[in-house]
Amino acid sequence: MRTKQEYLIRYKDGNLYCELADIWIDPSKAVKKALITHAHFDHFTFGCEEYISTKETAILLKERVGDNIKIKTFEYGEEFKINGINISFHPSGHILGSSQIRFIFAEEKWLISGDFKLQKDQTCKQYEIVKTDYLISECTFGLPIFKWDESNKIANDISKWITNSPEKTSLLFCYSLGKAQRLLNEISQTNFKGNIYSHGSIHKINNSYRELGIDIKDTIKIENKKKIDELKGSLILLPPSLSKGSYLKNFKNIQTAFASGWMSIRALRKRSGYDKGFAISDHADWDGILEVVKKSEAKNVFFHHGDSEALSKYLFEKESINVLLFSK
Amino acid sequence: MSLKKFSELFGDLDSINSTNNKIEVLKNYFLSNDPIDNSWAIYLLTGKSNKRFISGRYLKNLFSQIYEYPQWLIDTCYLKVGDSAEVITLLLKNKTNSRKKKLSNISLNKLLSETIPALSKLNEEEKNLEIKNLWETLPEDNHLIFNKILTGTFRVGVSIGLITKSISKLINIDEEIISHRLMGDFKPSIESYEFLINKNINLQELNYKPFPFLLANTFEDKIFQNSINDFQFEWKYDGIRMQLIKRSGNVSLWTRGQELVNESFPELVEKISHLKDDFVLDGELLVWDFKEQIALDFSLLQKRINRKSPTRSIQIKYPIIFIAYDLLEINGRDIREIKLENRRIELEKYFSKWQIKAENNISDIFKICDLIFPKDWPDALTYKEKSRENNTEGLIIKKKNSIYSSGRKKGIWWKYKVDPMQLDAVLIYAKGGSGRRAGLYTDYSFALWKDKELIKFASAYSGLTNIEIKELDKWIRKNTIEKFGPVRSLKPEMVFEISFEKIQISKRHKSGIAVRFPRITKWRKDKKINDADSLENAYKLMKKMS
Repeated sequence: MRTKQEYLIRYKDGNLYCELADIWIDPSKAVKKALITHAHFDHFTFGCEEYISTKETAILLKERVGDNIKIKTFEYGEEFKINGINISFHPSGHILGSSQIRFIFAEEKWLISGDFKLQKDQTCKQYEIVKTDYLISECTFGLPIFKWDESNKIANDISKWITNSPEKTSLLFCYSLGKAQRLLNEISQTNFKGNIYSHGSIHKINNSYRELGIDIKDTIKIENKKKIDELKGSLILLPPSLSKGSYLKNFKNIQTAFASGWMSIRALRKRSGYDKGFAISDHADWDGILEVVKKSEAKNVFFHHGDSEALSKYLFEKESINVLLFSK
Repeated sequence: MSLKKFSELFGDLDSINSTNNKIEVLKNYFLSNDPIDNSWAIYLLTGKSNKRFISGRYLKNLFSQIYEYPQWLIDTCYLKVGDSAEVITLLLKNKTNSRKKKLSNISLNKLLSETIPALSKLNEEEKNLEIKNLWETLPEDNHLIFNKILTGTFRVGVSIGLITKSISKLINIDEEIISHRLMGDFKPSIESYEFLINKNINLQELNYKPFPFLLANTFEDKIFQNSINDFQFEWKYDGIRMQLIKRSGNVSLWTRGQELVNESFPELVEKISHLKDDFVLDGELLVWDFKEQIALDFSLLQKRINRKSPTRSIQIKYPIIFIAYDLLEINGRDIREIKLENRRIELEKYFSKWQIKAENNISDIFKICDLIFPKDWPDALTYKEKSRENNTEGLIIKKKNSIYSSGRKKGIWWKYKVDPMQLDAVLIYAKGGSGRRAGLYTDYSFALWKDKELIKFASAYSGLTNIEIKELDKWIRKNTIEKFGPVRSLKPEMVFEISFEKIQISKRHKSGIAVRFPRITKWRKDKKINDADSLENAYKLMKKMS
């Protein structure tokens, strides 16, 4: 048994780090070399000398933060070497361009799941099962109360929610990158045929997705001072940051909803302050996490990004899988 | 006409904030469902009865047993969700993909009048099997309501007022009438629904029901601008508000919570039944010290209210009194539209008539409230400050020329409570909340200094804003010393101003004192823990008050 210091990948200053390659994974501080799993801002920070990601992630990042970053890109499955370690990206099904990262060194395989989901999503590549010896997995929704409905069911619920109040303007809050595009794609396949508007930040990403070959319904960019009658019965996608404060004063007679996995719990739904919650997530639910742990055939599992206590105990009791803890 | 429809109604009511929309949704529900299901819906929505068929704990154990699920995992989930019925509903999503034919349309009536009551007649094994069977045959989106009804925890943000308004809109009849019809007992049946929506108003039918209560508003300073002579002043008793009704010889005692409590106070019912007149009185029930002529502590009254058919010795140990402060109906004549000052004259007139008759012998159980006559507003304030001396909470101030309307109408009655007592205390424990506060640390315990030790003296969970709760929750997570199940012991650092109504000696508490209605009134970020009060200060306060 090796000691923690000898693990190929470990926690350092609150980030995943591979000493042998001197490379960081989604670091929260500026470093020399950073592997980026996907283009959400909580997985990216400015000031690194070099970034490495998939092509799609690189394009989305540049779209969001400008061209002034140095990014090297690789295709899914394409192996590259750093200090004798073979590294490759594999689809994680979270958002467009998102990836798991596999490390192979001296016949030992490590897999960092990144943020992932197993559910079908037409706006990104399906999660790929990758076999590994060591698995580092996220566990944002690591309790069995989280069990996602099919996304088309949620889309139909959203459609019904809008059409049941034809005199209202329906504001749906969701993350601008990934969730918004997935919702647009799903909602365009429902009975809802009214106008869909999106906030500038979402509109921009829709265009990037389209340029990368993803089929996203055309939406109208929402301008301030739209005529109220014009917005009646239509859907507006907005980032959650706008749900508090004065922005909502631009609209009259609205109903609001938030699309997030947390909305499956009534207490959180009530506390969120939105009228309604739609439980749809780009993270894996409990069953999804268990499936990945089992199918990866990992002998050693680490969890991060979430409360892993119950999950670890359950895996040990039911599957005899030993979950290890990083010393942070 | 089904559990499914009711589940949808619940979902709608749960996600609509606007009152008008809620009324509209309710109205449409009543229009599109049959009378018996409507009747059950009203029964559930108004919380007329929340009978618990099985406990939340039982539900969780049963799930654990059927699906071989570790109990600790269910408990962990509970901490996040805060409601047993909902936890099991969410966990069932993982489990009931059985191919059993779904009962797509069980009626609310069948479920509530047959299926669920039948469970109580089964032995444990049969009962468990039947619940499992129902879980597997009821459609998934009905599980939450089903589990909530089973555990008697069905609740939704709909007030009786809202139901009243929607029925009133439905049949175009005055809200007051509907509210009156909804008073008291409501047995779900076609008849009770049809009685509710009957367009013909028959005053006789309302005979056994109490009137809607008139409630007091919190006192506002602007009232000082009025002449003191416009108002009637009474002590504010800390008892149970009640209407005492005697019509056609039958006595009924209704609490403000619309419970018929005759069985808890048989000695009062017995005495009243001998009076010659019929009447409706509004007043307060208290446990009374007949020697000192003051009210005894509310906790003693609780010993009476929860006990049906009390023994003679209980009746002697906790002697009750009904203090009437208003007369609403006399010998079939509804006098609520008469001015308060004239109602008072009638009340005094009838009371002295009853009292004079020696055979009535009512003085040991029934009186009318004394009035207070302050000369001016400063004098009224002096009375208010004295209210603790006779174990009252302050003053009730009523407009003399007001009629007895219903609800918390502005400008008629005010409660003017004596200022609370306060101590600054240190936060030492926090516990997770439940329901809407699940997943947040919202139940707090506070301590006072005794020498160099902090001794717990009160627990409180109300008084902070949602923003403060979130901020404190964050702090709690970062400053936990130890976890004991859902409770965390905390680094002593935060000081809060705790207000309460009463302070008394208690052998049950380590601190030796107990306080009533403790609540947080200020987060004293400006204070360090050494600035917090000591137990000695608490004892001083107690001495000062007694």
